[in-house]
Amino acid sequence: MTSSGTAEAAKEEIELALSAFHSTFVEAFAAAPTEQVLRDEKAKLLGKNGSLTAILKRMGALSADARKSVGERVNALKTEVEAAFDARLREMVAEKRKAELEARPFDLTLPGRNPIGDGHIHPISQVRADVIEIFRGLGFAVFDGPDVEHEANNFTKLGFPPDHPATDMQDSFWTKSRHVLRTHTSNIQVRAMTTVKPPMAFIAPGTVYRRDDDATHSPMFHQLEAFLIDENVSLAHLRGILSEFAERMYGPGTPIRLRPSYFPFVEPGAEVDVGCVFCKQPDGKRKGCSVCKHTGWIEILGCGMIHPVVFEHCGIDPEKYTGFALGMGLDRVAMLRYDIPNIKLLFDNDPRFLAQF
Amino acid sequence: MKASLKWLVELLPELSKLSADDVAKKLTFAGLEVEGVTPFGAGTEGCVVAKVVSFRPHPTKSGLRLVTVDLGEGTQEIVCGAPNVPDAGGLVVLAKLGAYLPAKDMTIARREIAGVVSEGMLCSESELGLSEESAGILILPPGTGNPGQSLIEAIPHVRDTVFEINITPNRPDGLGHVGLARDLAAVLGVAFAPKRAPTFGADDVPLDVDVKVVDQDRCPEFSTARAVGITIAPSPLAWRYRLLALGVRPISNLVDITNLVLLGHGQPMHAFDLAKVRGRAIVVRTAAEGEPFTTLDGVARKLSKDDLVVCDGEGPVALAGVMGGENSEISASTTEVLFECAYFDARGVRRTGRRHGLHTEASHRFERGTDPGGLEAALATAVKLTLEVVPGAKLSPPRYVTGATANTTPRELTTKVVSLRSSFMTRLLGIAVPLSDARGILERLGCTVHASGEGALDVALPTHRPDLSREVDLVEEVIRVRGIDTVPTELPPVRGSRAVGGREALEHSVRRAAASVGLSEAITFRFTSAKALADVFAKEATVVLENPINEHQTVMRTSLLPGLLESLAQARRHGVRSAGLFAVGPVFLPSKNDLPEERPELFAVLVGDRAAYLEKPAPVDAWDAKGVALALVAALTGKEPEVVTYTASERPAYMHPRAAAKLLLGSTVIGSFGLLHPDVGDKYDFAEALPFISLDLPTLAKHPRAPRYKAIPKFPASPRDLALVVHDDVPAGQVKAAILASAGPLATDVELFDRFTGGANIPKDHASLAFRVIYRSDERTLTDAEVEKAHAKVVKEVEERFGATQRK
Ligand SMILES: [Zn+2]
Repeated sequence: MTSSGTAEAAKEEIELALSAFHSTFVEAFAAAPTEQVLRDEKAKLLGKNGSLTAILKRMGALSADARKSVGERVNALKTEVEAAFDARLREMVAEKRKAELEARPFDLTLPGRNPIGDGHIHPISQVRADVIEIFRGLGFAVFDGPDVEHEANNFTKLGFPPDHPATDMQDSFWTKSRHVLRTHTSNIQVRAMTTVKPPMAFIAPGTVYRRDDDATHSPMFHQLEAFLIDENVSLAHLRGILSEFAERMYGPGTPIRLRPSYFPFVEPGAEVDVGCVFCKQPDGKRKGCSVCKHTGWIEILGCGMIHPVVFEHCGIDPEKYTGFALGMGLDRVAMLRYDIPNIKLLFDNDPRFLAQF
Repeated sequence: MKASLKWLVELLPELSKLSADDVAKKLTFAGLEVEGVTPFGAGTEGCVVAKVVSFRPHPTKSGLRLVTVDLGEGTQEIVCGAPNVPDAGGLVVLAKLGAYLPAKDMTIARREIAGVVSEGMLCSESELGLSEESAGILILPPGTGNPGQSLIEAIPHVRDTVFEINITPNRPDGLGHVGLARDLAAVLGVAFAPKRAPTFGADDVPLDVDVKVVDQDRCPEFSTARAVGITIAPSPLAWRYRLLALGVRPISNLVDITNLVLLGHGQPMHAFDLAKVRGRAIVVRTAAEGEPFTTLDGVARKLSKDDLVVCDGEGPVALAGVMGGENSEISASTTEVLFECAYFDARGVRRTGRRHGLHTEASHRFERGTDPGGLEAALATAVKLTLEVVPGAKLSPPRYVTGATANTTPRELTTKVVSLRSSFMTRLLGIAVPLSDARGILERLGCTVHASGEGALDVALPTHRPDLSREVDLVEEVIRVRGIDTVPTELPPVRGSRAVGGREALEHSVRRAAASVGLSEAITFRFTSAKALADVFAKEATVVLENPINEHQTVMRTSLLPGLLESLAQARRHGVRSAGLFAVGPVFLPSKNDLPEERPELFAVLVGDRAAYLEKPAPVDAWDAKGVALALVAALTGKEPEVVTYTASERPAYMHPRAAAKLLLGSTVIGSFGLLHPDVGDKYDFAEALPFISLDLPTLAKHPRAPRYKAIPKFPASPRDLALVVHDDVPAGQVKAAILASAGPLATDVELFDRFTGGANIPKDHASLAFRVIYRSDERTLTDAEVEKAHAKVVKEVEERFGATQRK
C-alpha cells in the first residue's frame, strides 16, 4: 500500500466516525433529564477528552486536502452541537419555568407573617416633614400640585420673559404634548392664586425637574416653597418668617443674612444664608469650616417679594395685595443636615445608606 | 464675568481705599455675587527689570548661558537656559533671590549649576504666571522701566486681583467694568461720571461706505467709523496682561481693542477688514431662508429667515450680534478697518444663537440687552485706543444709522418715566426709606429723578438698565444699594389657609406606616424608559418626554416597580442580599383632562432573607408580603382587608400566577400582594420570586382610620384547640371561615397556630392544620357543656365539608 492509500483509508474511517458522532448527540441531548446531565453530555462530545477531540487527533494521518475538508466538517459539527445544546438548554429552562408557574398555587389564605419594624424614611422625606411641620406651626398649609404642568403655570404667568436667558437658569424637560415637567414648585403660586382668594399662606413641597445631570445636579430633585399673600405683607415680614424658620430648623439664635439676587417672579429677590451649623462655637460665633467654605454662612434658599406681574397674571390686584415667596432645595437641606457628600447617594437607595437615617 | 480690580479702581478711584475682599463683599451684597477672588501675576512680586550687558556660554554645560545683567545698582551674572536671550541693551525680567513663583511653586534660591553660582532667574511669562508662554524668557520692549525697577512699577498690569462674578441674567450692565463701577459707586455713595472719550473724525477721511439698515426692529441703532493707516501688531504689554488677567487671549492690536471695549463697556464690537468688504457697502437685514454663511469658527451654516445678518455689497459678513464671518476677518495685512458698534434686539440674537448652537461673549451680552444709548461712548473708546497704539491711524467721523436716517451724532433716545411712591416703598419693604436717600441712590445708578408732588418721585430710567421698567424695580434698586440686610425682622400676622390636595399628607402617613412595618423608603426617578416599563408588564407610558436627557429617562412612569427593582438589583450587585424597600409617589396615567392623572401609589418589594433570631435565615416569601400588606392596611385604616386570590383572567401580568391576591375593603380593591412573576425578576437578575405589596392611595384614603371603642370582655374565654388533617388543596382560610361560621355566636375568634406537612401520620398531599377557637360570651361565663356542644358542631362541619380527620 502506498502512503496515499493509507491516508485514503484513514479519511474514510474518520468520516464514518463523524457520521456516527452526528447521530449520537441529538439523541443524547434530547434524553438528558437535567441541566447537569446535559452539560456532561456536551463535555463528552466537545471536551478535552471528548469524542470529537479523539477524532481530531487522528487527522495527522490525512493528506493536506483531506485534512482541510475534514476540518471544515468538524467545525460545522461543532457549531451544530453548540446550537443543539443551546436549544435544549432553553427548552429545559422553559420547562422548568412552566412547571414553576403551573404548580399548585401558594395558599395565600394562610396567615401573613408579622413584619418586624426596622424601616427608615428617606432623608429627603424626613427633612421635608420637618420643614412642613415648622411652617404649619407658623400658620401655613400644604397646597399640592402636579409634576407635569402647563407652560403658563410654570413660566409665563410667573413672568418669565420669552426668549430670555432667565429661562436658561431652568433648562426644562418638555413632554410630547407640550407640557413641562415643572422646574420649580413656584407653579403652585400660580395655582393657588388662580383658585383661592387672598389672604393665603401656603407651602408647596414637590418634585421638580431640570435638564442637569452632573456631579452636583440631579435631573430630578425636591423643593419646598412657602408664600404668604395679604394686604400688607412686607420684606420685613419675609425676614421675620425666614429668621423664625432658621431658628426652628437649625437652633435658637441661628442668624440669617440676605443677599440680593434675581428670580423672575420676585422683586426684590434675595438669596438667604444661615449661620453655619457645622462650625458654630459655644459663644454663637462661627469660625469657618469646609462646609461653609470658611465663610461661616451656608446658602439655603432663595426668596423675594412676589412680583406684581405675577399678581396681575393671576387676577390679583397688586395695589391691594403684596406677598412674599421663599423656596429651598430639600436635597441640599438634607445633604447639609446629614453631612451627605454626594447628591447621587440620595437616589441610589442603597439599603445601607437608608438605614442610617 | 471676570472683573479686574485694577480696572475698577481706574474707573472709581474711591475703591483704592478698600481691600480686594471688601470690594468683593460690596459687589456680592449689591447682587453681583463674587464667587471667586484670584490673584493675577502674583509671581511678579519679587521681580525686577534687568538690562542685558553681555552673555557667554556656560564653561561646561552646553545649552546654558551666563548672562550678565545690569540692575541699576550693579551687575549680576545669571545662568540661563533660554534660547532667546537678547543682545546687550535688551530688557528682561529677573526674579531675585527669595522671589516666590506660584505658577511653578518655586522660591528663587542661590543655586550652583555645573560649577557656576546663580542668584536669580530670568523668567518667561509662564514662570511668572502671566500666560502659557514658555518658549523663551520674557523680553520687554525698549523703554519699559529702568534696570533694577520693580516689574510691577514698570508694568502695573502684570499684577491684579480678578473677581469671578456671577451676573444674573437681568443685569447686562454688570457684564462690563463701567457698569460694575457704577454699581459700586452707588453703594459707596459717590457720584459716578466715567470719563468720556473725546470726539473724533477727520474731514479728509470720509466714511466712504454705504451703510443701510433694512430691519430696523432687529437693529434699531447702528454706528460705524472707518480707520485708515492701520498697522496690525501685537498690543502693548499693559493691554496684553489686562486681557490675560480676564481670561481673554490677546490676538492683535485691533482685535484686542474690540475685546477691551466689550470688557469695559459691555458693548460687543466688530472690526471688519474694509479691504475685504465687497462693494464698500454694509447692509443689515434678515437672511434669506437657507442662505449660506461660514462663521469665524469655520462652520458653514445655512441661515434662517429669522437670522439677522450684517452684509457687505454681496452677502453676509457677520451673524449679527453672534459671530463674524471668515471672509472679512482682520489679518496681519489689514490697513483699513471698519468698526461696527450696534444695538441688536435681544430676543432675536438669542433665537439665532440657539438655532445655530452658538454662545459667544457678544451674544451673551446682546441677548441680555445691551445699552442702546451706549454706542457713542463705546465707539469713542475704540477710536481712542486705536489712536493710542497706531500712531499713523486716521479716523472718519462716526455715522449713526437708525432706519433710513443717518447722522454724525447719535439720536436722543426716549426714556420711560416711572413714578416711585414713598408709601408703596414703605409698604413693600416694611421700613421707611427717606425719599431723598432713594433719590440719591437712583441718581447714582444713572436715573434722572424729579420730585413729583408730595412723597413721590418721577424717575427717568437709564438705557443701560433694561431690567428696570416699573415702580417695584425702583424699590428693589433702592433696597439693593442701601443693603437688603438693613430691613428689620418682623413676624407677620399670618391669616392661615386650609390644606389643598392632601397628597403630601397622605403620602407621608403611608411613609410612616411603611417604615413601621420594616420597609425603607426609596426615592426613585419618576422618569423611566418604555423598555423598563415593558419589562415589568406595566401600562404603556403616555407622558413621553420631548427632550430626554438620556435613553433611560424618556417617559414618565406608569409603575413604581422598575425604579424599585433597579435599586434592589444595584444593592444586590453591591453585596446587599436582603432588603425591603418601598416607594411612594405618583404614576402618570392618561386622563380626560389636558394634564395626565398623577395617581399616588405605594409599592414595596422584599428580597433575600427575613430577619431571624439565632437561627438560619430563611428567604422571604408570599406570606411575608401578606403580613406587610395587612399590617400596612391596619396601620392606615384600622381595618383588616379581605384577601381574594386573583383569578387568572384578572391577574395583572407582573404577578406570579401562583401567588397573587387583591386586598378589598368592602367592594373596593385597595391594593394587592403576592410574588412578582419570575419573568420580571429575570430582567433584574433575581433568580428567586420576589414578594411585593402595592396600595392604591386614593382609594385607601377613602377609608381613614376611625377607631371606635368596643367594650373590653368581662367574662373569661374558653379556648378549644382543633388539629385537622385535610387535603393540601383546601385553602386554610376556607377551613377557618367554616369553623367560625359553624361554631355559632359563642365563637369570637379562630386562629391557625400550626401547620405542617409530611411526617409519619400525615398522608401524602395532606396537611395538618391546628386551630384555636375562642368561645366567649359578653353576658356570662360559659359552661363546659355549652362550649363542647358548639365545638362538636365545628368538628362535624369540617369533617363533612373538607373530609378532614382529627389528629389526636
Ligand atoms: Zn462652617
